[in-house]
Amino acid sequence: MYMKNSVLMLILCVVWCAEASEIRVVATVPNAGVLARAIGGDQVQVKVLAPPDRDAHYLEARPSMMSALRRADLLVAIGADLEIGWLPAAIRGAQNARIQPGQPAYFELASALDLLEKGKPADRALGDVHPHGNPHFDYDPVRLAEAGLVLAERWAVLYPEHAETFRAGAHHFMEQARKRLAEWKMRIDDPAPVLAYHADFVYLLDALNVQSLGAIEPLPGIPPTASHLQELVHRLAGEKGVIWATDYQPSQAGQFMARALSWTFIQMPIQAPIDAEADAYFNLIETWVNAIVHPNE
Amino acid sequence: MKKSYCLLWGSLAVAGGLVTASQAQDVLNAQKGPLDPPSLNMRAMQLRDADLPRTSGTEFNPAISLIIDFTYTHNTDDLEAPAGFELGAHSHGHGEEDHSHHDEEHGHSHGLEDGFQIRAVELNLSATVDPYFDAQTTIHFSDDDVEVEEAFITSRMLPSGLQLKAGKFLSDVGYINKQHAHDWLFVDSPWIQEYFFGDEGLNELGVQLSWLPPTETYIRLGAEALQGDSEGIASYIGEDGLSEKDSPRLFTGFAKIAPDLGSHHAVQYGAFGGVSRAFQLEQHEEEYMDGDAWFAGLDFVYKYNGQGSHGHRNFALQAEYIYRQIELDPLGGHSTHEEHAHEEEDHHHEDHHEDHHDEGHGHHGQEWKQDGLYVQAVYGFAPRWNAGLRYDVLGLVNDGYDHDEKMDFGTSYRYTGQLTYAPTEFSRFRAQAAYTELADSGHEADHAHDGWQFVLQYTVSLGAHGAHAF
Repeated sequence: MYMKNSVLMLILCVVWCAEASEIRVVATVPNAGVLARAIGGDQVQVKVLAPPDRDAHYLEARPSMMSALRRADLLVAIGADLEIGWLPAAIRGAQNARIQPGQPAYFELASALDLLEKGKPADRALGDVHPHGNPHFDYDPVRLAEAGLVLAERWAVLYPEHAETFRAGAHHFMEQARKRLAEWKMRIDDPAPVLAYHADFVYLLDALNVQSLGAIEPLPGIPPTASHLQELVHRLAGEKGVIWATDYQPSQAGQFMARALSWTFIQMPIQAPIDAEADAYFNLIETWVNAIVHPNE
Repeated sequence: MKKSYCLLWGSLAVAGGLVTASQAQDVLNAQKGPLDPPSLNMRAMQLRDADLPRTSGTEFNPAISLIIDFTYTHNTDDLEAPAGFELGAHSHGHGEEDHSHHDEEHGHSHGLEDGFQIRAVELNLSATVDPYFDAQTTIHFSDDDVEVEEAFITSRMLPSGLQLKAGKFLSDVGYINKQHAHDWLFVDSPWIQEYFFGDEGLNELGVQLSWLPPTETYIRLGAEALQGDSEGIASYIGEDGLSEKDSPRLFTGFAKIAPDLGSHHAVQYGAFGGVSRAFQLEQHEEEYMDGDAWFAGLDFVYKYNGQGSHGHRNFALQAEYIYRQIELDPLGGHSTHEEHAHEEEDHHHEDHHEDHHDEGHGHHGQEWKQDGLYVQAVYGFAPRWNAGLRYDVLGLVNDGYDHDEKMDFGTSYRYTGQLTYAPTEFSRFRAQAAYTELADSGHEADHAHDGWQFVLQYTVSLGAHGAHAF
């Protein structure tokens, strides 16, 4: 039985190796795809499941995701329950033994990091909470790169012949991330504090040393009421600040707050284009940084 | 390069067929002398404990969720089953004695009763059993009953895109059949679901094997061997002089294909069918019918993602068609079937359907050829709000041949509209109105042929955040 199993797995392995020319990586969100491309280089072919202009909290498992996962050799997810509403169903529907949770080819970037807001009460009265921590660390290039270092080591075990490529890719990404972040911090002088629509910019603001004024949403995933907005306006009146929302979030509340407080309202994409390389990702984050450096331009 | 990769996986396989990084570490250690420098791979191995997945529901407890489904229903008229579809769904058939059961069997709207009702308290437990299997149970509590609606395992580690499912589960035939009631876009299920498969859809004990080929386009093929105990297609008694047939009695197959239309659009086409080796029912008291049945159908779903927040501008169009054929021979009983056949005809069909009497069909029992379809569309007209329309048709073909006589039962229609508000993913409020237009069945005059039904519903989900399949 034991022997039979092994022989069977060997045969399967040979069949699988014969059919794969490039390593097929599936990443859940575009920023994770950027990281996978930076690490894998020419050895990998990366497919991203979530389009950049969608909220990864609220996607639906689709057949196209399942067919991509069916053929995947490696899976890179954000983790910390970000994809909980669709990734488990997509994996179940993909019928691919390699990328099941628990297998070495399944990797959650969140597992490599110390997450902020970890250990909050798991009480839905507090909105759509993530007891394992805030999952939006991919907005901070250095944290994303840190997770990338661990990811590269995992891949190096699975593909020892590409280990050096993976490590070099991850280290290069980290160098770039550190360099860009240092540049940004140099440029930021007396930054405007940021009020975000959702509690999703905490990592970027933390990395930039910029004060966060919290979120417009009273609780994660719960839309603000008119009275809640009035209260926020009352509390923040007279201070300076800037309001951020990603392209997939509602704009009315942010626009209302911006008018009432005479602040700037910025609404832009936060996920890189679906086939983006590292530069496009760093440039995207830089547009957000520019919005604090020059809040009125 | 590929070779060394294979070797790694080969050695992982030798380590016990269970491929985990910790075992890989043992293998790699075993290949080295104690004084050899640590391999470059070791760093990740040491990180292994730190980089395990962090997702809720992995803390040894199964993911638990409880769903409460509360309704208020008002029917303007007391409607019976659509003409020709009393069969199976109401196995006591056309006779007067049926009416003693009438109220409790009046489950024409998925158990929606007049007034307030806790339609379901549904407990879902799911977990990964071990590296080889996932398991899931759905236990249904109602006022007077506890029922295991689903309890099954699915394989995680079968090679080549194969997956095995075993236990009690909702069949994958069609599109809506595998959905739980709380995933429906309307309060109740489409008519075809109810009258071709039974109140809970095709929900059977059995095994399923499915295969996903490694194609760019999503294709899923599957076959099921099921017990065969569903009212509408595999009604089974197995006693009272009826021939006992060994399970599995119902065999089904399905194929689904979903071309990738990009991130805005998704479409899936499906075809399905099944054969039941037994279809048995009590036509009158102690008069039994025994035979077999088959069905075939098509399903279609299109979804548009409107990029709005919380379902705003999302659109879903869904349609299914089913055709079934049942052949029944009279069996046992205290009187000859000739008498009963005529008696039945006198009771119910002569007045209304004598013009449909046909040439002899050469069949000594009954034969039924029936079909039905539904089309529904739901649109998210504002964040957290959606509204939908559904069109149900039963019996476009609705022919029964009873001992050489053809009975044409005509077509029944239902028009349903719903309005839904979902404050979060965990709570939902819905209002629904339906207008039913039944074909003239030739039954007693105390039943109306058309009527309205109004339903208010809330559904809440406590506990784990479930992921919904497409």
